[in-house]
Amino acid sequence: MTSTAQDLHPAPVLEPGRTILELRGLEKRYPGTHALKPVNLAFKSGEIHAIVGENGAGKSTLIKLLTGVMPRTSGEVIWEGQPAALATPHEAMALGINAVHQEVVLCRHLTVAANMFLGEENSRFGILQQRAMVKEAQKIIDDLGFDLPAHVTLGDLTIGQQQLIAAARATVRGTKFLIFDEPTAYLTRKEADQLFTLIRRLKGEGVTIIYISHRMEEVFELADRVSVLRDGTLVGTRNIAETNDAELVKMMINRSIEQVYHKEHFTPGAAIIEARNLSGKGFENVSMTVRAGEIVGLYGLIGAGRSEFVTTLYGRHRKSAGQILWEGKDVQVNSEHDAIKLGMALAPESRRDQGLCLNLPVGLNLNLPIYKRISKNLLISSAQEKTQADRQIADLRIKTPTRGALASSLSGGNQQKIVIGKWLAHGAKLFIFDEPTVGVDVGTKAEIYRLFGALLSKGAGIILISSYLPEVYELADTLHVFRRGKLVATHGFRAASHEDILTQALAEKQEKLGGQI
Amino acid sequence: MSTEAIAVEKPKRNYNVLFGLTLLALLVLLWILLSVATTSFASANNIANLLRQGSMIAIMAVGQTFVIITGGIDLSVGAVVGFATVVVAMMINAGFPIWLAILVTLLVGVAIGMFHGFGIVKMGLPPFIITLATLTSLRGIGLLMTNGNSININSDTFTAFSRNSFIGIPNLFWMVILVGIPAYVFLHHSRWGRYLFSVGSNAEASRLSGVNVQRTIYMAYTLSGLCAAFVGVLLAARIGIGNPTQAEGWELQAIASSVIGGTSLFGAVGSVHGPLLGAFILATINNGANLLNVNSFWQRIITGALIIIIVYFDGLRRRGK
Ligand SMILES: Nc1ncnc2c1ncn2[C@@H]1O[C@H](COP(=O)(O)OP(=O)(O)OP(=O)(O)O)[C@@H](O)[C@H]1O
Ligand SMILES: [Mg+2]
Repeated sequence: MTSTAQDLHPAPVLEPGRTILELRGLEKRYPGTHALKPVNLAFKSGEIHAIVGENGAGKSTLIKLLTGVMPRTSGEVIWEGQPAALATPHEAMALGINAVHQEVVLCRHLTVAANMFLGEENSRFGILQQRAMVKEAQKIIDDLGFDLPAHVTLGDLTIGQQQLIAAARATVRGTKFLIFDEPTAYLTRKEADQLFTLIRRLKGEGVTIIYISHRMEEVFELADRVSVLRDGTLVGTRNIAETNDAELVKMMINRSIEQVYHKEHFTPGAAIIEARNLSGKGFENVSMTVRAGEIVGLYGLIGAGRSEFVTTLYGRHRKSAGQILWEGKDVQVNSEHDAIKLGMALAPESRRDQGLCLNLPVGLNLNLPIYKRISKNLLISSAQEKTQADRQIADLRIKTPTRGALASSLSGGNQQKIVIGKWLAHGAKLFIFDEPTVGVDVGTKAEIYRLFGALLSKGAGIILISSYLPEVYELADTLHVFRRGKLVATHGFRAASHEDILTQALAEKQEKLGGQI
Repeated sequence: MSTEAIAVEKPKRNYNVLFGLTLLALLVLLWILLSVATTSFASANNIANLLRQGSMIAIMAVGQTFVIITGGIDLSVGAVVGFATVVVAMMINAGFPIWLAILVTLLVGVAIGMFHGFGIVKMGLPPFIITLATLTSLRGIGLLMTNGNSININSDTFTAFSRNSFIGIPNLFWMVILVGIPAYVFLHHSRWGRYLFSVGSNAEASRLSGVNVQRTIYMAYTLSGLCAAFVGVLLAARIGIGNPTQAEGWELQAIASSVIGGTSLFGAVGSVHGPLLGAFILATINNGANLLNVNSFWQRIITGALIIIIVYFDGLRRRGK
């Protein structure tokens, strides 16, 4: 396996520890935002260098400058001793700098193989060698241990799988310097492990890696060094062995957090919604109840049927069998409109496709579900529109110059806060949060969890879907485990071990799992 | 090692082929029905006529499809056809050799396409706007050049071409094959064709992959302009005149053919055989309606209804997948 890998990407001959890339006073201003204040930083060849920081700290901006996606305002980038202009993605790639960006940016309509070779197609006399490319792509994917077909249309894969393809793709381009911007946000634990194996292997081949993440345990698991950004400024760089979680968090947000998972327990009230033997596309025979004042967590792999289950509750898909009871009464939920009228709210998992109007202002996005409430006879009360939006922005610490800025101009984590925030002001009884903290920094996570508590105290119930086990584990009063469309286990608050839950979700032998982690 | 994946289905290619076969079946069905319903439909003369009618829209539809795949639209093609008839007619009448007249006309089409690319890429204009502007102004320029008159082309060699056949098939239809085969290879088997799809699917992703998005857009509109100018040459040969008001509304027929042929107006979905079949389905409906003495107003209504039905079913199938 290692020998074929060597053939695929011949190891760059670099002596480890030498500076490969250096930032000198690198700076970026957007209209209204000073995203990156002059930064000086040197990356050593063959290291895994983590970059952490709050949402909007400037991490992705730094990456965009290094990969030629955006022009810098001032400063220099020194690549192997030579100043590099990095004006276009093409130029960065020619040097051997590649990135797996925060949002999957691939072409959904093209096949996996076509995406892997996009821009570097293999053609003979102008004719694409499609078969050869599919075969080669498949070989690379198999070699990395990803169990994915190369000939299918990319859009048919889950976001997590697409992210793995993006990673696989970045490795085949003669890469010397590879940047991962929150690659695990949409990955299941198992996919994340596959990715880590890949990253370690690249490191072994002398590739320098920048790894951006909000998950501290990943940083400690992978990185050799870690740099912290705050408000566009480099606060410091540490060797991983000489720092700890608390210090990094302190550096990131300039205050300490005593407890991220803030859990308040309420005595559950009456049942809000009950699913009885519900079946639909992607799941079968699921029964569960959500009562006032409780969080029901759904854990499982991506594609295990959790999202399909809740979107069926929400009326987006038709149920094929079973019953939905709302406050004890049998109801038909035929559309999202019905669901919202009953008192449900859903914050979807894919923010770009389902959660946001990217080219509209932040304020409008936040107010979208409540325009009915803040308008009189069709006329919107602009005063309320402003106060509502500003309150959400302040509560969630959404980092935006004004409520009028376009949602597309916000950092990834801040976009996620809008997706959550827009439902908080909505007086719903049942909140469904599908992967609510993807890409959200530690401080804001704590903030969002506190807001969950506030919702519960008002008598609402919450369904929380997460592929990030600690989150559901620490927050859910009842935890249901899904596997292949079936509800396979149910636990009380912290009633089972992580290992048991993982095994139930994967249904693979414990030893094999242990071997992988 | 099983990733909990969505069932992995057959590649999309199969769907394309299936859709193409459905269109072909529809076309054959129309032909059978019309052969039974009328005496004149199946005559050699009428079939040749039908092929000639359909050929020109078909070639335009191919160019149009390239543009639509990138997520754009080219409203100017009808006007380009009209303008091209004027250019080629004036040059031939001025005594230039036919090959030179044709070459210059084609280059005019290329230039118009480049202009569209420039407007979209460099000036940031929406494709709809820049091509709409060309649509009206080109007709105006043509009218100025001709003082509003038609130009009778005084070369029989030139006009004979469109009337003649080669091994029993009208020359105009051979032109469809001449355009269709390279277009197919270009779209589905060359990297340039691949980039048309990738830009239509996700321009940002393409840019990040090192694809030259701007050049791809230039290319799409240039090819569309080239196809339209070529059709202009064919039309001038067929009717023997140059007249800037010719081919009115053909842009909509080209778009309709493309859409009937399975091209998505959202971009990133399309083929070459689809628009070709679409164009001949439309031509058959017009031809059949004439033979059946259906009021020409009805023809328009039928065409409209057909667009809705086919696109609706195509959408259903895609979603149902
Ligand atoms: N295209 C843009 N136009 C204007 N402002 C922008 C643009 N892109 C980013 N910004 C702003 O620059 C700042 C830094 O954003 P960046 O995306 O680098 O943050 P980040 O550290 O990656 O955050 P996250 O963890 O949420 O991904 C933010 O305040 C953001 O709003
Ligand atoms: Mg970011």
